[in-house]
Amino acid sequence: MKLSHSLTAVLSAITLTFAGAASAVTVPPGTSLAAKQELTRQVPTEVESLDPAHIESWTGDTIGLDLFEGLTRISAAGAVVPGVAESWTRTAPDTWVFKLRHDAKWSNGQPVTAADFIYSWQRVLDPKTGSKYTILLEFVKGAKAILAGKAPLTSLAARAVDPYTLEVKTEVPAAFFTELTAMPAMAPVNKATVDKFGDSWTRPGNLVSNGPYTLTDWEPNNRIVMVKDNNYWNAQHVVITKVTYVPVESDETAMRMYQSGQIDYTYSIPSGIYAQVSKQFGKELQTGVQLATYFYSLNNSDPAFHDPRVRQALSMVIDRDLLTSKLTQAGEVPMYGLIAKGTKGAAVYTPDWASWPMAKRVDYARGLLKAAGYSDAHPLTFTLTYNTNDLHKKVALFSTSEWRTKLGVNAKLENVEYKVLLSERHAGKVQASRDGWFVDYNDAMSYFDQLRCGGVQNDLHFCDPKVDALVDQANAQLDDQKRTALLTQAHNLAMSETPLIALFQYSADRLVKPYVGGYQPTNYVDQRASQDMYLLAH
Amino acid sequence: MLAYALRRTLWVIPTVLAVITVCYLMLHATPGGPFDTEKHLSAATLANLNAKYHLDQPLWKQYLLYLNALLHGDLGPSVRYVDWSVNDLVSKALPVSLGVGGLSVPIALVIGVLLGTAAAVRRDGITDRIVMLLGNVGNVIPPFVLGPILVWVFAILLKRSDGHGWLPAGGWGDGGWRYRVLPMALLVIINVSSIARVMRGSMIEVLSGNFIRTARAKGMPGHVIVLRHALKPALMPVVSLLGSICISSITAAVVTESVFALPGLGQLVVDGAINRDYTLVLGLVVLTTVTAVVFNLLVDLAYAWLDPRIRY
Repeated sequence: MKLSHSLTAVLSAITLTFAGAASAVTVPPGTSLAAKQELTRQVPTEVESLDPAHIESWTGDTIGLDLFEGLTRISAAGAVVPGVAESWTRTAPDTWVFKLRHDAKWSNGQPVTAADFIYSWQRVLDPKTGSKYTILLEFVKGAKAILAGKAPLTSLAARAVDPYTLEVKTEVPAAFFTELTAMPAMAPVNKATVDKFGDSWTRPGNLVSNGPYTLTDWEPNNRIVMVKDNNYWNAQHVVITKVTYVPVESDETAMRMYQSGQIDYTYSIPSGIYAQVSKQFGKELQTGVQLATYFYSLNNSDPAFHDPRVRQALSMVIDRDLLTSKLTQAGEVPMYGLIAKGTKGAAVYTPDWASWPMAKRVDYARGLLKAAGYSDAHPLTFTLTYNTNDLHKKVALFSTSEWRTKLGVNAKLENVEYKVLLSERHAGKVQASRDGWFVDYNDAMSYFDQLRCGGVQNDLHFCDPKVDALVDQANAQLDDQKRTALLTQAHNLAMSETPLIALFQYSADRLVKPYVGGYQPTNYVDQRASQDMYLLAH
Repeated sequence: MLAYALRRTLWVIPTVLAVITVCYLMLHATPGGPFDTEKHLSAATLANLNAKYHLDQPLWKQYLLYLNALLHGDLGPSVRYVDWSVNDLVSKALPVSLGVGGLSVPIALVIGVLLGTAAAVRRDGITDRIVMLLGNVGNVIPPFVLGPILVWVFAILLKRSDGHGWLPAGGWGDGGWRYRVLPMALLVIINVSSIARVMRGSMIEVLSGNFIRTARAKGMPGHVIVLRHALKPALMPVVSLLGSICISSITAAVVTESVFALPGLGQLVVDGAINRDYTLVLGLVVLTTVTAVVFNLLVDLAYAWLDPRIRY
């Protein structure tokens, strides 16, 4: 009886319902719009695919968000807002029920139903599909067994209660599930189209989508063109009528194309000339930050880094303020922990020593190294590996200089090609290496797999069962504040052992034409849908 | 001549096979694979991907599968660009590279031969000095510097009334002539400088030959001597150069296409190598090898046409 009462209390507490207003572009009153609403956006690479089952990059997500819409979507401000689902309820810690809007349609006019989502998710997980980016769907109960070919597709815990009600069970309580459903990897695809056209279903003319735009042209490495789809449920609020994505890998070329009026906003700016660009373009340079951390991965199982005192000493003497203000100079934010500012579910980590004067930090660090058995006669020696890139080279030279001059540490530099670095780091063959983490979804859990004992992403070979226990407690927690407190505690505990050396939070610096409205630099998720933009008269 | 051409053409097969084999082994020996990403893939996901692209098979079997597909004209699927086959990607990129690189070569040839000849005829004169200066400029300034200078002048500094540049700074857009002008101009400048220098040297040497002296002694006009007697033999070194220029107009496209963001073969080579897209790289290697062999053959045949003493 007591148990039953508790259960009832818990269930009533967790039956959280979200029924937000439909998001639409916010054009300030009195704004004079351009007669021609055609936006040209640069993406940094050719998209790997327009099939949600194969989309895995920033470029893919950005373009995918214009073509496809999931149960939820990311607003201009970076918040989760209703997409195909007009509301949802978390009926149990691991159960979500989504109510789909009845007016959601495919570009061919057919309705989007719960069955479309189930088919699409099963398709991503089908071993035959060979999807690379399965990390999001692996949160759905039964997904891992399907991926491994050990269970039928139908065993996925996603059920159509009726054509417009979808019930999903997750493998573990996932408070952030609606962040995942906003990404293209969990967007629906049209079964009839996939069946009819097979591998070429994403070609212009074949592709049927359910987002605000529909594909009209795709020439690899040249352009992707899409136009407003009047079948989209919120079409009356979509202002931009035509979007062209231009893949340009060179930031220098992209900036020249921006200057010549060919593109309306760039993905980035050339490295090392932030001040010059800022002076030249003024307010057209939009600086924001991304949920992404630049850090040095330390192989904690390596004899050089087995002792946490050594790791802490190395971290303490790097002057992040100097690094970001004088060297990288692109609006990066100094960091001391793995979790970036703006991440939901945990606070950033700032150790006490971060506010100490550098001389005090150096003295303390020297003491730590001495206690760990290192001295001038027996200096700490290791290799720092980074991949070929101007920024990485500068940061590596700066860091090794800090270690050498302040601690007498002998850090050798090794420069390798990107894929070589990834391969060697994953295999545990490097001691210290350049690393970066861009979140897959806006929640602290997106970081923790790097810190959990035996985690798939744990290249650090770090393990503290107390951290794991706190994360598990947090995952079972349904109260957001308590969950955040526990995850913050777990992160702080892990970072106090310095498993890695966090340096800064990546910035997102873009040139945006003054006539582009709706661009919000505070969107930390850094996914901006064209439907949230508009062009001013110019 | 025909037997020679046939023999050389047949040599394409073992040449391409040898190049593919070496390239195949080198690609697979290079650390890092197509599925090495910043974030690890789960074991099941990786296994599914390896199975999809036959990368779970022994290397020799993968190699034979590739050769079998190649024999059927199939360059395989792109591992990076999942929605396209390598055939699709190459067939879309080749016209761009040919449209820029291929067209710029004949233009550069005509201009280079004319300038080189004019410089040789007026040796040490003002024409000669200007041509040599231009030749040196084209040779000394690398394309990644010269390209942005052209863009700065014609796409940024000079604007139309709507605020856009006279010409596009990059991209391919609808493939119209406006998108081709600057990249072609860059390639023409680079190639003209090489061709003009070689042509000048060759023409000077030919013009000092005994048969030219005889022609002059007979009172033949200067332009007739140059056009009828000197031009053909003077073209021999230019033809040699032309072979390498034609091949490098594909390989050097890596720089040009990057400067102008062109969707050509150069861009694919870079993307394929960076992403360890084995089939894409191999497909481009096959294409470049065949092109190189064909151009070398054409050059050899051109020798016979230019110099009657050469017989195959």
